[in-house]
Amino acid sequence: MSDGYGRRDFLKVVGAGSAGAAVAGCSTDSVERLIPYVTPPEEITPGVATWYASTCGECAGGCGIRVRTREGRAVMIEGNPDHPVSRGGVCSRGVSALQALYNPDRVAAPMRSGPNGFEQISWDEALEILVDRLDTGGRSLFLTGRKGPTEGAFLSSFVDAVGGRRVIHDPLDDSALRRATEIAFGVNALPRYDIAAADFLVSFGADFLETWLSPVSFGADFAAMHGVDHGAKGKFVFVGPRLSLTGQNADEWIPARAGSETQVALAVAGELIRRGADAGPYTELVAGYGLEEAAEAAGVEADALVALADQFEAGTGLALGPGAAGHHQTATAANLAVLILNAAAGSLGHTMHIDDAPDIEASSYAEVASAIREMSGGVYGAAVVAGTNPAYSLPPAAGFRDAFALVPFKVAFATTLDETSAMADLVLPDAHALESWGDAIPSPGTYSVRQPAMRPVPAYDSRPMSDVLLEAGRRLGQDFGTPSFRDYLRGAHDAWLAQNGEAAGLAGDPSALWRELLRTGSVSYADLTPGIDALQAPTTAVDFRMPRLSGDGELTLLVYPSPRFGDGTHANRPWLQELPDPVSKVMWHSWAEVNPATAERLGLRSGDIVSIDSANGAVEVPVWTYPGIREDFVALAMGGGHTEYGQFANGNGVNPMELLPEATDAVSGTLALVSTRVTVTATGAWRRLTSTEGSSDQDDRNITPAVALSALGHAPEDEHGADDAHDQIRELQEGGGFRPVATEGLAEDFPLPGSDFGEYDHEGPRWAMSIDLDKCTGCGACITACQAENNIPWVGEVQATMGREMHWMRLERYYETVDASHSGPVDIRFLPMLCQHCNNAPCEPVCPVFAAYHTPDGLNAQAYNRCVGTRYCANNCPYKVRVFNWYRYTRENIPEPMNWQFNPDVTVRDNGVMEKCTFCVQRIREAGNRAAVEGRDVRDGEVRPACQSVCPAEVIRFGNIRDHESQVAAAATDERAYRVLDAFINTQPAVHYLKKVTHHDVDEGGH
Amino acid sequence: MKRLWLGAGVAVAPVLFAVAMVAGRQAPDGGAMGEVAQESEQSQPIQFPHDTHAGQFLIDCQYCHFSAERSVDAGIPPVATCVGCHQAIPGRNDPAEVARVIEYHDSGTPIPWKRIYKVADHVKFPHMRHVAAGVTCQTCHGEVQAMGVLEEMAPEAGDLRMGWCVSCHLERGASRDCTVCHY
Repeated sequence: MSDGYGRRDFLKVVGAGSAGAAVAGCSTDSVERLIPYVTPPEEITPGVATWYASTCGECAGGCGIRVRTREGRAVMIEGNPDHPVSRGGVCSRGVSALQALYNPDRVAAPMRSGPNGFEQISWDEALEILVDRLDTGGRSLFLTGRKGPTEGAFLSSFVDAVGGRRVIHDPLDDSALRRATEIAFGVNALPRYDIAAADFLVSFGADFLETWLSPVSFGADFAAMHGVDHGAKGKFVFVGPRLSLTGQNADEWIPARAGSETQVALAVAGELIRRGADAGPYTELVAGYGLEEAAEAAGVEADALVALADQFEAGTGLALGPGAAGHHQTATAANLAVLILNAAAGSLGHTMHIDDAPDIEASSYAEVASAIREMSGGVYGAAVVAGTNPAYSLPPAAGFRDAFALVPFKVAFATTLDETSAMADLVLPDAHALESWGDAIPSPGTYSVRQPAMRPVPAYDSRPMSDVLLEAGRRLGQDFGTPSFRDYLRGAHDAWLAQNGEAAGLAGDPSALWRELLRTGSVSYADLTPGIDALQAPTTAVDFRMPRLSGDGELTLLVYPSPRFGDGTHANRPWLQELPDPVSKVMWHSWAEVNPATAERLGLRSGDIVSIDSANGAVEVPVWTYPGIREDFVALAMGGGHTEYGQFANGNGVNPMELLPEATDAVSGTLALVSTRVTVTATGAWRRLTSTEGSSDQDDRNITPAVALSALGHAPEDEHGADDAHDQIRELQEGGGFRPVATEGLAEDFPLPGSDFGEYDHEGPRWAMSIDLDKCTGCGACITACQAENNIPWVGEVQATMGREMHWMRLERYYETVDASHSGPVDIRFLPMLCQHCNNAPCEPVCPVFAAYHTPDGLNAQAYNRCVGTRYCANNCPYKVRVFNWYRYTRENIPEPMNWQFNPDVTVRDNGVMEKCTFCVQRIREAGNRAAVEGRDVRDGEVRPACQSVCPAEVIRFGNIRDHESQVAAAATDERAYRVLDAFINTQPAVHYLKKVTHHDVDEGGH
Repeated sequence: MKRLWLGAGVAVAPVLFAVAMVAGRQAPDGGAMGEVAQESEQSQPIQFPHDTHAGQFLIDCQYCHFSAERSVDAGIPPVATCVGCHQAIPGRNDPAEVARVIEYHDSGTPIPWKRIYKVADHVKFPHMRHVAAGVTCQTCHGEVQAMGVLEEMAPEAGDLRMGWCVSCHLERGASRDCTVCHY
């Protein structure tokens, strides 16, 4: 071994089919091993990624994903562009499934609870115990989360076979919407919304871009509906007490009280009926609802409601919701009211479709409540819990813990221990979704399959629950005729094809169809579900009055599902903990949102720790003042305050469920999330919020200028003259993105020497990006994708509070117009900020060691091995996109086996090194290598940076700006194109933003 | 595992596992293979003569290093590749060594080759680009076809350090941009 290596003992996965394996050390005699395959898997070429099409298992949305694997390890999750529902998008939670797969807190082996806590046992022992104790003569309770259709059907038939009761618990159940649909249309199903077909959209608090039903799919639809296209764009009005991320994307906000959705929707429907619309059997009922009374109940102006009616009348409308704020004690009524409004507005059959396709995996809290009563009553001899965590996600007032503790034998199938499985007598390590088979029907007419992307992580002796139950069934004398759930799934697929294949247009050899399904991840077929196109007379009495609130505090508590953690399921993932909440920009801990006026009245500032007290409990949490919430509300996100969920979740934040009474909507049985008033009192303590929000105000810097819809098509002539602008753009393209400009005094110095450093290849491509701010919803999926792709460490709460978070991308969020005191336009701007790859980069000339420099193909590069950590570049960067690795975050924060997720194509940086967005240079090089070997140029669209490859709204375009035909060149010449701060400091970024388009007039500023 | 590498966080043990896992076999603990691995800590586990294979019998490098022309990695031959020929060829020079290869294969154990050629973790060396550009294997790896058991880098090969890489890039007019190799 040569001297060159001994000193540092580099390890490298040059995997020759294999990978470097070694004893790490600093001595020169350590030996690195190359471990070959014994028999090579056909699909794997060492050094080349293998992709698996699959279905995301993180929520019930059923998005299509592609899992990138390297030498058998899953390293990245991207959206599957061939998937008809998610269309190439995936959210942060979906990407972070990798951190659940490689979570260090996963259950390593079956465990039995003993006098000294859990003790590990073998699978044989575990199965023996399971089979023995499940033999309860039908007195077993199976409490599970919502499963895919085939797994759900299997579970139910298993429970039927061995005897017992299956109850589905989903804290975010949509039973109120299903029940309302059943009342209005006679089928217990979810309506199918076609947002893209609408030009006027109203959300009654439904957070459809974050957590409601199928956010990724809705995100794509919303971009199509709301993004400007040929001078037209749809309008979106948000009705609710708090602007969620979805609300922040609205054009107008009607800050109606929670609970008043019913009144508002019925009153607007009534107004439409008075103008001649029809709501079938509800016409008479609804016509009695007046706008004035509704406005009074909602605490908003009647004019705003008239305007809603006007716009429904004028366009193709769609009303969504209600969302979290509508989860109250008359939730079914609120959902029914919105369905009636849709019918009155003519949405039915156009933008809203009702399919006669009841979902077998539907659930309601009422069933859980009855199971709790039965557990307390000693009905059950055994309880099996899988994929749900009621000990955490239900209000303590529901009494789950006490009842569950009374069950003589409790089994939990769990990937990681949580508050519920920690109470179990037997814990069986479940396989993660990325390791197991399953399926989803995300929309009628789409079947989406989930296949394992890798073999089970060997550190954990896990088995898929379905396989374990198949074995248990066999031992209990219930043979399902198949040894594994994979075969069961395949059998179900073939059986469905045999029965429906021809009618669905899927004729052919089942084996070939199955192989094609595994290749593409999903299949679309002719949907045979009959549609329902008329309201039917109500069969159930529904109370349309405002919901009751318990407690006598001043503020109403709004509990909402977190865009990052959902109901709390996703909390034990450091990527999500350190992902700034899209609304508050707070990481790691919880916060309470109150209006600045309320805060002033209570004498509170952001960061003041308050005690929030209800009749059921109290939590202490810092305040974050937010102009996007009504003055009479306080909001808390779900997902915090875990106690037994793992090292990344425990002790972070508070669980707002502790404040809630056990209140339900009588008609659907859903748990009410808005049900109590609370008092908020200062404790006198203060903490610095762990936040990335530098400023919510642009301070006249015009970082995210917008253009009014009415001004589109006029701007360039007015300001510069069209020819001048186009000349400049042409010049920019000829120069590969670098536009020489006259500057004060030193014009002859341009282009600056640094920019053509080295052999400047004018023939090669010039990489550039465009970001359409009119479509960006600020969801933050790009941030997590970037973190996953580029081996970016998390730094933890303490370091992040000091501003040392290391994201290469962040989402700036600026308030322009937000006013909770009355209805009107809302204008909140998002700006994904990443390295702008300035052609005239301020960071480059200040680097004393030439670590920061410009590449011939237009990248602002950072040579890690040159960097000595002076941080001059970060100080000189006007965009604040360079991050410094202060400590050994990559070594010390990332425990085994989470480092398995590392992308082998990207260097893992260590402390003392400056880093930043590289435009995913590894993907550029990979595409370049591929193209060179095939003797061609890189095609437009062939290089997709990680951020682009997950974005549901197709906001980001990337390509060679010197290619005039490329999408990015077209975007750069769009009349909305601008470059951040370029007009002030002449940095000439390679990132072009397209201005947001507003319905109201805006001051366009200097761009 | 000691954590003393620089910028090389791609942990090693899991990689080993992952490969074993994909191959569908777990290396047995201890036993005959364990002893083999132990005694050969500093030398190759199999005395593989490159001169016999590539020199005498003129087997193309890429017959075994199968992915060099289409991947960044050249590919270490799977044990099955060895056995593909050696199930019929007992090995004239050293049948005992061939028997050990068969033993590895039959027991499902990967051969833990000692790594000779490597570049640092922050260096990307895409084999396919170099093969496509007509750079011979010998340019970097030396006259391997004339060498017996590879225990260290061939003396006539380059030192695989940056100056040596750059000199060739200069000579051939290849890019010398940092991010061609470092990212």
